[in-house]
Amino acid sequence: MFEIDFGEDGVIVVVGRLDAAEADRAQAFLDEVPGACVLDMQKLEYISSAGLGVLLKTHKRLTAVGSGLKMIKVSSHINDIFKYSGFDRLFEIETADD
Amino acid sequence: MEKKFKRSLEEIRNIVSMTTDFFAQESLDNALRNTVDLATEELFVNMVTYNTETEADILIEMQRANGGIEVSLTDYGVDRFDPTNVTTLDTEVPLNERNPGGLGLYLVLKMVDSIHYEYHDRTSKITFRQGVA
Repeated sequence: MFEIDFGEDGVIVVVGRLDAAEADRAQAFLDEVPGACVLDMQKLEYISSAGLGVLLKTHKRLTAVGSGLKMIKVSSHINDIFKYSGFDRLFEIETADD
Repeated sequence: MEKKFKRSLEEIRNIVSMTTDFFAQESLDNALRNTVDLATEELFVNMVTYNTETEADILIEMQRANGGIEVSLTDYGVDRFDPTNVTTLDTEVPLNERNPGGLGLYLVLKMVDSIHYEYHDRTSKITFRQGVA
């Protein structure tokens, strides 16, 4: 199960498992975001490289137009994957503990 | 526990169900779960994406191993591709030079405790272990 939608204050909320089967749907949603974007990951349970690819592609597109993608409320195990991937050097990330 | 899966990303949800069932059946530590899910998905997706010369189902086997888990994925009628020999990914390059290619296998090699590749009679078998004492 994976859901992506706008929450309060324009924050985008992702819920469930962002795997290779759901990556196209996540990408299609994020491709419609025109500018700076905050992703609330509190309820994201799982992400694979396909999901990381979606985040990377979106961040590159938004950075090229002067904004970017920020992730908030990131769980410790997903933050570990971000660190292994080097995403902690590319993205602004706030963990659930921050 | 073993099951065969069609060469489709839609099977990922069924693989997750199998893993859930196996963890419950064997009372395995849930702390192992995210790495097992990630490694299984990445290896399965790699087979589906790159081993396009076959239509055979992919066999996934899970067994308990000394407090942890051993997972094998077997792909039939394929060329040799050893994922344990993939080039290390440079995760320190700037954003405009980054692309997601190779990230999945890189994460698998980084996160699992051990991984082993066998190839014979045009059959690839990849086995990883996690949490094994």
